[in-house]
Amino acid sequence: MRGLFALGILTLGLTEAAPLTLRFLDVGQGDAILITSPEGKSVLYDGGRSEPRMQTLLRQYGVQSLDLVAASHGDADHITGLIPAVTLYKPRFFLNNGIAAMTQTWQKLITATQKAGTQGLLARDQVINLGSVKLTVLAPPSGMPKNQQNLNSVGLLVQYGTFRALLTGDSEKEQTAAWLRKYPASTLGPVDVYKSIHHGAANGDTAAWLAAVKPKNVVVSVGPNNYGHPTASALNLYQRAGATVYRTDQQGTVTVTVQPGGKYAITTERQGTVRPAPAATPTPRPQPAPAPVTLPPSSAYYPNCAAARAAGAAPVRVGQPGYGRHLDRDGDGVGCE
Amino acid sequence: MSEQPRVAWWVVDALEGRLARVELEDGQFVDLPLASLPRGVREGDVLRMEEQDGDFTLEIDHEETARRRGEAQAQLDALNRPTSGREIDL
Repeated sequence: MRGLFALGILTLGLTEAAPLTLRFLDVGQGDAILITSPEGKSVLYDGGRSEPRMQTLLRQYGVQSLDLVAASHGDADHITGLIPAVTLYKPRFFLNNGIAAMTQTWQKLITATQKAGTQGLLARDQVINLGSVKLTVLAPPSGMPKNQQNLNSVGLLVQYGTFRALLTGDSEKEQTAAWLRKYPASTLGPVDVYKSIHHGAANGDTAAWLAAVKPKNVVVSVGPNNYGHPTASALNLYQRAGATVYRTDQQGTVTVTVQPGGKYAITTERQGTVRPAPAATPTPRPQPAPAPVTLPPSSAYYPNCAAARAAGAAPVRVGQPGYGRHLDRDGDGVGCE
Repeated sequence: MSEQPRVAWWVVDALEGRLARVELEDGQFVDLPLASLPRGVREGDVLRMEEQDGDFTLEIDHEETARRRGEAQAQLDALNRPTSGREIDL
C-alpha cells in the first residue's frame, strides 16, 4: 500500500514537464543566447566578447552541459565567450558558417575546439533536434561574398509547440533579402521572440524583413559601444512592427520560459522598461569626415591605462576619444577607473 | 639617438561604420577611426604596424593576410567533417 502511494507521487511528478528556456545573456556589446530544452539539453548560440563574463554566466545559470555551440559568424563580439564554453563543456558540435576569421581570438576558439574533440558542423539547411525542441538552421544563402562575415551569418529558428524564435546574428540587408527570396514568409514568421540583428545597427533589420518575420517581441543584445547601437532607425522599425522591445543593456539578461504547447513568459534580470524610440527617425546631419591621422591616434588610442593616465585621459568613457575595450576590463563603459 | 623600430601585426576584426575594431598583438581590441587606417582596409586584413620614436606607420600586409587566411581556412575545413542525413539528434 505504501509502495502504491509512492508510485502515485512519482507518476504525478512525471506529468510536470520542464519548460524550454532561452536566455539572451547580458554579455555587454555582443550576442550570446543559451537555449535549454525540457530534457536538459543545451545549445549556446554565440558567446559574447568576454571569456570571464561567459564563465560567470554559465556558472550563474547552472549549466551542466552543452551539446552544441554555434558561432553565427566569426566576429570577436560573438565568438570570444565560446572559448571557455568549448573548453569546459566539450560539446559534440561546433556549428559555423565555414568561413575562417583572421583574429587570434578565432584561432584560440579553433584550438579549443580541436582539443575538446568537438566536431565542426558546416551550416546547411538542416534540422537539429534538441530533445523535443526543433532547431532549423538557416544557412547563409549562396552568392554572399565570402570575405564578409556579417553577410554569412548562420540563422537559427527555434520551435517548441506553437512557440517560435528567430536568431540571425549580424546579417545585413543583402542576406535577409536573399533569405526572403529563398523561404516562404510562413517559414520565417510570425515569431514570438526575435533577436534584433547586429545589436540594432542601421545596416541590419529592414522593414521588408520584419514584415515577413512579424516579431511580437524583440531582444536587443547590446552594451556600451562606440558604434551608436542600437540605432533609432532600428528601434523605430521594431516599434512600427508592433513589437515589445527588450534590451540587455537596460534590463540585463532576458529570459524566455516556454511551456509545453508553446505558452511563454518573458522575464528580465533587472526591473525597468525600455525607453521608447523617438517617434520619427531624425534626418541624419552630414558629418565632417574625421581628420585623417597618420598614426594610431595618440589622441584616440592608449595601449594601456598607464598611457591613458599619463595623458590625463583617465577615466575614459565609452564614446570618448581613446576608449577601448582593452582599457575596460569589467565592460561597464568606463576604462581606467 | 633613434630607438629601434618596433614591428607588430594587428588584425581588422570588423568594420563598424566609421570605425574599425582591431585586434592588437596582445589579443586586446580597440576601435580605431577608419580614417586612421590604410585606404581600402577590409575586415580580416592583417596590418603591419611599425613604431619608432613615438611615430606609427600602418600598412596592409597582403602577403601575411593571404598566408594566415589560407592556414585558418584549411584548419576550419579539416574541422568541419561532413555529417550524413538532414537531421541531427542531440
